[in-house]
Amino acid sequence: MSPFLEQLLDALSALAGPDGMSRLFYMLFPAFLMFELPMMIMVMLGVLRWFTRRRTSVPKISVYRPKVSCIITCYSEGMDVQTTLLSLCEQTYDGHIEMIPVVDGATVNQATLSAVRSFNVDPQLYPKRHLRPIAKWQRGGRVSSLNAGLSLAGGEIVMALDGDTSFDNNMVASIVRHFEDPAVPAVAGSLRVRNVWGSWVTAMQALEYLLSIHMSKIGLAEWNLVNNVSGAFGAFRRSFLVKIGGWNTHTAEDLDLTLRIKSYFKRHDLRIPFEPEAVGHTDAPATLSQFLMQRLRWDGDLFFLYIRKHNRNISPHLLGWRTFLMILLTGFFFQLVLPFVIFIYTLLALFILPGKTLLFLFALIYVLYLTITLLMFIAMLVMVSDRPRQDMVLGLLVPFFPLFMLLLRCWSVVAMLNEIFRRGHEESSMAPWWVLKRATRF
Amino acid sequence: MPTLNPRVAIFGNRVPSLNLPELEHFTDLGSLLAADAFDVVLLDMPAAYAGKVLRKLRSLPPYRYTLIYCCRDQDGWCEALGDGACPVETGEIKRLWGVWQERFGLFSHGSAPERFESRVLSWLWLRDGAQVVALRDPEVPQHYRYPLLDALADSEQVNAFVWLSLMVQQDWLEEGVLIDRVRLCSDCGSGRLNYIDVCTECQSMDIARQPSLHCFTCGHVGAQESFLKDGVLLCPNCLNRLRHIGSDYDRPMENYRCRSCQAFFVDAEVQARCLDCGLSHTPDKLRIREVRDFRLSEAGRFRCRQEFSEKSAQHFGKLNLLGGKDFYDLLTWQMQIVRRHPVPEFSLIGLRFVNLAGTLSHLGEQRGHAFIDSVADRLKESVRETDRCSRSTEEFFWIMLPHTDEKGLDIVKQRLGRIAELFSAPEVSDITLRVISITAPQDLLDQEDGELLLARMAGELGDTP
Repeated sequence: MSPFLEQLLDALSALAGPDGMSRLFYMLFPAFLMFELPMMIMVMLGVLRWFTRRRTSVPKISVYRPKVSCIITCYSEGMDVQTTLLSLCEQTYDGHIEMIPVVDGATVNQATLSAVRSFNVDPQLYPKRHLRPIAKWQRGGRVSSLNAGLSLAGGEIVMALDGDTSFDNNMVASIVRHFEDPAVPAVAGSLRVRNVWGSWVTAMQALEYLLSIHMSKIGLAEWNLVNNVSGAFGAFRRSFLVKIGGWNTHTAEDLDLTLRIKSYFKRHDLRIPFEPEAVGHTDAPATLSQFLMQRLRWDGDLFFLYIRKHNRNISPHLLGWRTFLMILLTGFFFQLVLPFVIFIYTLLALFILPGKTLLFLFALIYVLYLTITLLMFIAMLVMVSDRPRQDMVLGLLVPFFPLFMLLLRCWSVVAMLNEIFRRGHEESSMAPWWVLKRATRF
Repeated sequence: MPTLNPRVAIFGNRVPSLNLPELEHFTDLGSLLAADAFDVVLLDMPAAYAGKVLRKLRSLPPYRYTLIYCCRDQDGWCEALGDGACPVETGEIKRLWGVWQERFGLFSHGSAPERFESRVLSWLWLRDGAQVVALRDPEVPQHYRYPLLDALADSEQVNAFVWLSLMVQQDWLEEGVLIDRVRLCSDCGSGRLNYIDVCTECQSMDIARQPSLHCFTCGHVGAQESFLKDGVLLCPNCLNRLRHIGSDYDRPMENYRCRSCQAFFVDAEVQARCLDCGLSHTPDKLRIREVRDFRLSEAGRFRCRQEFSEKSAQHFGKLNLLGGKDFYDLLTWQMQIVRRHPVPEFSLIGLRFVNLAGTLSHLGEQRGHAFIDSVADRLKESVRETDRCSRSTEEFFWIMLPHTDEKGLDIVKQRLGRIAELFSAPEVSDITLRVISITAPQDLLDQEDGELLLARMAGELGDTP
C-alpha cells in the first residue's frame, strides 16, 4: 500500500473516532469559507450595488435609436416561432427592428418554414418592423444559421435569439441603451423558464434560472465579470462581431464567442453588461432525461472550451488580471474541479463514515446550503425580481433546491468524463456531423 | 344558282399568295359598297381598323351574312363579327363558301329573316361553331357587350342580356364559356361601382384603423398611445405593467375607430356606391350577372333548318307537326284535363332515331330526303287524324294520342315497330329506334307539366340501353 493512501486512510479513520464530528466540521467549514463564501459575497455585493444604483439613478433620455437586427435561429419549433416573431413586433422600441428568422434544414422542417412564411407583419400596425426570412435548405447547425443571418443583417446591433424564446416588450429598448457606450461590444440578456409548471424538472429549473443565472449575472456584471452571453439571447455590436469573425464552429458557440470577446479586455477597455430588464421566456426541458442530456452537453462543453480549445487564450495578457482570476476561479475551479471534489468526497463519505455521522454531516451541509438558498431567494424577491408575485410561489421549492444542485454537481462529473474520454462535443446536436467533421480538432 | 367560284373582294392590301380569278381589290370602303355585293370579303388591315370595317359591314344588309375573313391579326371585334383568319389555301375558301352557300340558299328560298331573333339565329346557323361572343368594353356601363347583337339589331332597341336569357329559356341558344361575373347597380344597371368601407354604426365614411391594446388584468381596451409611457406599456386604467403579449395583454379584434361617432368596431361595413346614379347599396343587393358566350343549341339549329328549309317542311308537313311551344301547351292542357277527369285517358309516345342526323349527312341531300320521306309515310300510317305530333330536335319525335288507353297504345306501338324495319338496309343500319310511352294519368308525376314530362321521357330515351 502506498504511503499516500495509508495516510488518507489514517485521516479518515480518525474522523470515524469519538470526536470525529467536530473534526469533520472544522475540516469542512474553512473549505466552505474559502471558496463558496467569497463568491457569494461578491455576487451579493454586486446585486446590492446594482440595486442602489438603480434606485438612485436619474432616468436618462436618449435619442440613440440604431436599427436592430434579430437573428432568430429556427429548427423544429413549428408554430412557436410565430410567438417569438410577434413578441419582437410588439417591442416598444422606437427604432427599426429587422427580424431575420433563419430556418435551418428547411427541407425537413416544413412546419417551421410554413409558420415563418405565414407570419404577416401588418405594416400599419408595426411600421418599423421588417421581416426578412432565410430558408437554409441543407442543415448546417446553429453557428451556420447565425453567420448566415449576420451576413444579411443590416442593423447596427445584432441579436442572436432562439426560435422558441419570446421576449418582454421592453427587451430591445433596454438592451440598446447599453450600446450607446462605445466600450460595450456585447450585452447579455436574462432568460426565464416559460413552462414553469410543466413538470417538477421545469419548476426546479425556473428557480435555478432565477437564483444561479439571473441573480449571479447581475452581481458579476457589476464587476464586469459576466461569465457567458447566452446563446438563446445575446446582443452584439455588429461591427465588432464582424471584426472578430462572427460565430465559430464547434459546440457552445456562445461561451466561445464570450471568451473571444474577453480576449480584447486587456488591450481595450471593454465591458459586457447584463440587462436584467431584458427578459426572454424560453422552454426548458420537461423530462429529467431531456434535462440531463442538456446539462451533459453544457458541462462537457465547458471542459472542451476551457481545457481544449481556449487553453492558450486564458492568460492575464489577453484577459487582464481580474477576468483571468475570475475565469480561473469560476471557470476552472467551480465548474471543472469542484464537482469532482464534491463527488469523490460524497462517495468516500458514503462508504467510510458510519450511518449516524453521515446523516448528521449531510444534515449540516443541507442546512448550510438551505440557509444560503433562502437568503438568496429573499434577496431575489426583494431586489431583483420583475415579477415578484409570480416568483413567490417558487419559494415552495427552496427546500429541494440544495438537493437539486447536488444532483447537478454530480452529473457534471459524468459530463466531464464523457468529454475527457469520449470527446462528447463531437457528437453535439447543435450541428450535423458533416459540419463538425470539417472543424478544427482540438 | 350554282356558281363554281365565289366572287372574292379584298379590302386593303393585296394578298400575294391568293390567286383567285375573281379577286377584286378595293382600298376604300365606299367603292367596295358601291360595287355589287361580293360572296367573300377579305380584310387585309390591322385589327383595330378591321374591327371598325366589320362593324360597318355587318350592319348593312348585303354583307350581313357574308363570309368575311381577316388576313392580319384579330382583336375582340374581329373575333365577334368576322369568320376568323383567312384560310391559306384558295381551295379552302371555295370549300367553306360552298357549305355556306348551300345553307344560305335554303333560307333565301324560304321567308327572309325579318325579326331580330331570326337574324341572329340564321347568322349563327350559317357558320359552324359560331358564337355570340362577349367583348369587354370599358365604354359600356355593364363592362361587356355583344358586338354581333349590336350589329344585327338595326334600329331595334335590344337589351342584349335580357334577350340572351330569353333565348336560353326558349332553348334556341345554349350557354358557352363563362367569361366573367359582373356586379351591377340594382337601380341603373351600371357596373361602375366604388366600394367604400364605412362605420357600422353611423355609416360615415370617416373611419381609420387604430392600433389598440386590451389589458388582461382589468379588461381595459384603448388606443395604443394611451398605454405607452416612457417606452414602457402601462395600463392607463389599472396601472399594471404590460410586458408580454399573450400573457399580460393582447390586441383586441376591434380595429377601426369612427371619427364622427367614436364607435369602435371589428370590421368596417362595405358599401357599393354607383358612380353613375350615386345610389349606395350593400354589396349583396347588387345584381350579379354572368357574362358568357352563347352558341346555337340543338333545338335552335333544328328550328333554323325547319324554318328555312322548305323541303324538310314538306316531308314532315304531312304529319301536322306542332312547334315546340304549342305542343308543350297542348300537352299541359291535356294533362290538366286528365288530372281532373281521369277518364278518358290519353297516351304519349316518344321516338328517338339515334344517329339520324349523322346518317342523313352521310347519305347526302337527295337520298337522305328520300329516306326521310319513307319514314314519314310509315309514321303517317300509324298516326290517326286526331293525334298530334312534334319534334323537339332532329332525333326526337313525339306523338300525343288522345282517348287512348294502354290497350290502344299497345296496338299503335306494334304498328310503329314496323318503322324499325326500314333501318335494316345496310347504309342506314347505324340508325336505331328507341320507343318510350306513358299513359296518363297513372304514369304522371306530381307537379309535372308538359315540358317536364317530355324532359323526363327524353332523359329515359337518352340513356344507353
